[in-house]
Amino acid sequence: MGPRDGVRARNESAWLLPNDGTRTNHRLRRDMRRFADEDEIDLVIVGCGAGGSVVLQRLARAGWRVVALDAGPFWDPDTDWVSDEAGSHHLYWTDPRVIAGSDPVPMGSNNSGRGVGGSMVHYAGYTPRFHPSDFATHTVDGVGADWPLSYPELRPYYEQIEQELPVAGERWPWGDPHGYPHRPHPVGGNGEVFLRGAAKLGITAKVGPVAIANGRFGNRPHCIYRGFCLQGCKVNAKASPLITHVPDALAHGAEVRSDAMVTQIAVDKHSGRALGVHYVTGGREHFQRARMVAVAGYSIETPRLLLNSASSRFPEGLCNDFDQVGRYLMVQGAPQTAGRFDAEVRMYKAPPPEVSTEAFYETDPAQDYKRGFSIQTVSPLPITWAEHVAAQGHWGAALREYVSDYVHWSCLGALCEFLPLPENRVTLAGEKDSYGLPVARFSYSQCDNDRSLAHAAQSVMEDILHAAGADEVITIQRYAHLVGGARMAEDERHGVVDRHGRSFAVPNLYITDGSVLPTQGSANPALTIMAVAARTAHHLTVGVAGGIS
Amino acid sequence: MSGAARETRGWAGRFPGFDALDQVRHWDQVTVDVVLARTDSPGAVKFFTESEESCARALLNLLTGQDGQDSELAVPVLEMVDSRLAAGETDGWRYADMPEDGQAWRDTLAHLDADAYQRCGTPFADAAPTDQLALIQAVQDLKSADWHGLPAAHVWSLWTRYACTAFYAHPFAWAEIGFPGPAYPRGYKNAGVGKLEPFEVGDAHPSEDPVREGT
Repeated sequence: MGPRDGVRARNESAWLLPNDGTRTNHRLRRDMRRFADEDEIDLVIVGCGAGGSVVLQRLARAGWRVVALDAGPFWDPDTDWVSDEAGSHHLYWTDPRVIAGSDPVPMGSNNSGRGVGGSMVHYAGYTPRFHPSDFATHTVDGVGADWPLSYPELRPYYEQIEQELPVAGERWPWGDPHGYPHRPHPVGGNGEVFLRGAAKLGITAKVGPVAIANGRFGNRPHCIYRGFCLQGCKVNAKASPLITHVPDALAHGAEVRSDAMVTQIAVDKHSGRALGVHYVTGGREHFQRARMVAVAGYSIETPRLLLNSASSRFPEGLCNDFDQVGRYLMVQGAPQTAGRFDAEVRMYKAPPPEVSTEAFYETDPAQDYKRGFSIQTVSPLPITWAEHVAAQGHWGAALREYVSDYVHWSCLGALCEFLPLPENRVTLAGEKDSYGLPVARFSYSQCDNDRSLAHAAQSVMEDILHAAGADEVITIQRYAHLVGGARMAEDERHGVVDRHGRSFAVPNLYITDGSVLPTQGSANPALTIMAVAARTAHHLTVGVAGGIS
Repeated sequence: MSGAARETRGWAGRFPGFDALDQVRHWDQVTVDVVLARTDSPGAVKFFTESEESCARALLNLLTGQDGQDSELAVPVLEMVDSRLAAGETDGWRYADMPEDGQAWRDTLAHLDADAYQRCGTPFADAAPTDQLALIQAVQDLKSADWHGLPAAHVWSLWTRYACTAFYAHPFAWAEIGFPGPAYPRGYKNAGVGKLEPFEVGDAHPSEDPVREGT
């Protein structure tokens, strides 16, 4: 049995998709097992994105009666997605949210998904691992937090998920050095520019790691390099849980209930145990009973749901006895620097994720800041590029003129490890959404270390682009990704869940998404969110098989 | 830094003969429907009131450089923004110091009209072009300072986000910048610096860098 057969034996998703040029196995969805609200299922999962889908698939395989509820649609890439920027608005979570603080973080397209597959439907596709140092930044560097688990404990799950997505890239020399199951993709103009500039400066840069199969994988076809990764992959080449974990989950008896918005987690006031979840679908209220609840709504909706689930036992919000819910929410500083070349780069022709360097990831003792940043190709499409140009202050005829130069530009993005701070948090706003629930208010402010990192990252990107031959460089300050907000910790005074994702306050309530991460490194978080969820699923199926107390 | 004060050169006709719409037969039907709908005659205005509409139209056309010579090719930015606001298609967030997007548009258009009355005694839409430019520039120049009780930078962000998203969604804009638009199911075969697909057209003025000083 080759390594790919090994993957198929434990996750058959890629082989359950059609191989006739269409992208969705409609029969699998039509024949999906369906549970009744009155059934006390083993586990109800809130949110069917990176974390929720992995748990769903693992537990369905283990024979659990499990349902994932998702507020958005059960996507069909053929009919629901387009090869177009503005036409992809429906992929984002666009219910109202309020952003505040001294450095407010825009939401929506930037960091929030909607529907089955979650934000991985429109993420670029970068899937780097965290470095071992990310799990102990407080001990190693005196900043951030230590995780209640170490890198070696997560490594086997990284390896599993890298095979299941699968990830393509060169041998990775940073962090814990490792290889990838698929060879690196060929690079387009933007990747070429990055590799050339980095080589001139002696900076190591590598192709990958991207969750885009290089070659056929099951019935998933090869990438066609059309550049619309951020608009949902109509090809089924880029990995998202919709095609990497949900099909196998359905084949093993899981139910995915889409267009079902969970409004509250119910907890028995005497036993303190979760009883199930209230949700709304088709304009009607329902209650799904369950033996256990897993929340996987990501860093804004997970804390919001806990806060909106306040009760007489938990007056300040579920699991919030120690005022930890919503805190330590992190975003990466993501300055984006572009360089202009007389030659045509045409960066839209290739997946935006191509080349990365993690040479600046770790703390450099020669600098006056802690931790670091990574640099990656980003390749914005016209609307996003126009925002980059408009951020320089241009408008009107000058904006048009500058943007008309699009084909000449190469664009790099940094991910800076902004630190977890207690006041960067989600609370409830006075305003209510269409379900009558208070919306999330996300307050965010940078610290001095954050600003130093963003400045340093911008300088390195400018150097790389100049070294590659750029005559001009322009930068836009932005943010990327979300993690934290319900972090794991050693005890309930420092976090919301333990090292297995089990909440300190409610013994049969787990959190299985990016909100449990105590630090974020300079890595795109999708792979780590999936790996941590896979570890929680393993704990549930093996460590406490059938008998969670 | 003002765009409008700067003399235009070079961007019209940079990609001679190129039009993304020539490739429609190679796009998937779902995408075709979405994109071609933008080239239909714009529908009736639903969100803005009549006076808001004139003000918004003047503002959005100025922000997207559609105030001059190419008016017959104009992208219907006003109607595209109006239709988003009527459908409540926000970006999924608002600044805590701003009203929600629809109300923020109504409020800021009223403030712009108030500024115009004060400066020239007319609504913004009827002000002379130089006055309109100056009125908009004044808002941008305030940066994060207060403008009628709102942080000017957040007002500027609202205006330019909606304007750019509408304008660069239109195939007319793609032709202007050499971008072929949708690429499914065909994809690309010639990625790399200096490489073109048979259906792409190279820049006729590759060394005219609009950012480089003195060119």
